Amino acid sequence: MESVKMEIRQSEFKPEVTVWYIEGDLDSNSIETLNVHFSRILEGNRFHAIAEMSKVSNISSAAVGELMGCRQVLSDKGGDLVFAGLSLDCKAKLTHLGANKIFKFHSDLRTAVNAYAWEVQQKPEKVWLSFPPELNFVPPVRQLVSRITRQKGYGQRDSFRIETIVDEVCNNAVEHGAPDNLRDIELFLKIDRKKIEIEVVNLSDPKKINSLKAISKSILGTNEKKLERGRGLSLIKMLSNDLSIDFSGKGTTVHVTKLREE
Amino acid sequence: MESQIELEYEDIKGRANAKKVRFIGDLDATNVETVLEKICNLFTEGFTTIVADFKKLRYVNSTGLGILLHFSKSAKEKGGSFKIANVNENVYEIIEIIGATTLLEIYDDVEEAVGALK
Repeated sequence: MESVKMEIRQSEFKPEVTVWYIEGDLDSNSIETLNVHFSRILEGNRFHAIAEMSKVSNISSAAVGELMGCRQVLSDKGGDLVFAGLSLDCKAKLTHLGANKIFKFHSDLRTAVNAYAWEVQQKPEKVWLSFPPELNFVPPVRQLVSRITRQKGYGQRDSFRIETIVDEVCNNAVEHGAPDNLRDIELFLKIDRKKIEIEVVNLSDPKKINSLKAISKSILGTNEKKLERGRGLSLIKMLSNDLSIDFSGKGTTVHVTKLREE
Repeated sequence: MESQIELEYEDIKGRANAKKVRFIGDLDATNVETVLEKICNLFTEGFTTIVADFKKLRYVNSTGLGILLHFSKSAKEKGGSFKIANVNENVYEIIEIIGATTLLEIYDDVEEAVGALK
């Protein structure tokens, strides 16, 4: 049996988060050490704590009960205690004890810190990707974005609408982009709990730029549903909360904002 | 990589010139040409009426919708029709936004669509 070791540190990425490194066997003999370290967390006035448990070999039910008490104290002060890096055995044991209904489990420390930034601070997450201007790259890109939104808790209907917006914007970028395929299409996402911003940048085809400007102007300035030219752009406009297109410079930048509805 | 779409065909009893076609997967810009070719082949073979079952059609975009409108128009020109059934609510919303609900013949289920055949 391995004796328990503990250490309290501030998160490297979020100093307001306490990281509680725990190592060894969390049995009934470790409860005193656990309480001593928990007192230090309270003294530090940082009530969001992550128990980093990747080096924990075993957890007894007594220790789980003690950690539940710690979590309750932090929760009463507006904070939380979450677990990171649990082994499969420890996770199974905690689940068997029903602790998965009380504690959030994160795969590693970084994921736990990111979850704190997302859930508590409501900070947006940003994704950037680029792909060659070919139609066949668009379906995996739109499906990836849809999955990101689902993973971030957006509803099925919102995710479908976002998938459609990304598909239409990217298809337009491929269709109306420069014919020599010199530059990849770039997609920027900024997602938070309330909205997603999508920006797609491509190198425009100089021969098409004037007709694109005319179609965009006509669609952005009306609420009519178009059945011929610019059907995709009409769809984007109807599905989004804000749409702007910038033709300045050599590229075209389409910026879409979609509020979360579900 | 082209999006996955599969078409399954079935005869409609008592309707020699009609075919039921099940759309399975996503209909988008990467596969519209394949679908266009397959449905146009049916028209060429003399099947002027098509009942499209969209129960397993997960996704359609504006390009896909464009060929559905084309099928509807072509079928009418040949004296037949292109009827759609079992449209999921996400796909229906896209059709509705584009303003195509009045241009396409949409039914709740396949039985209703078949029952509406003249």
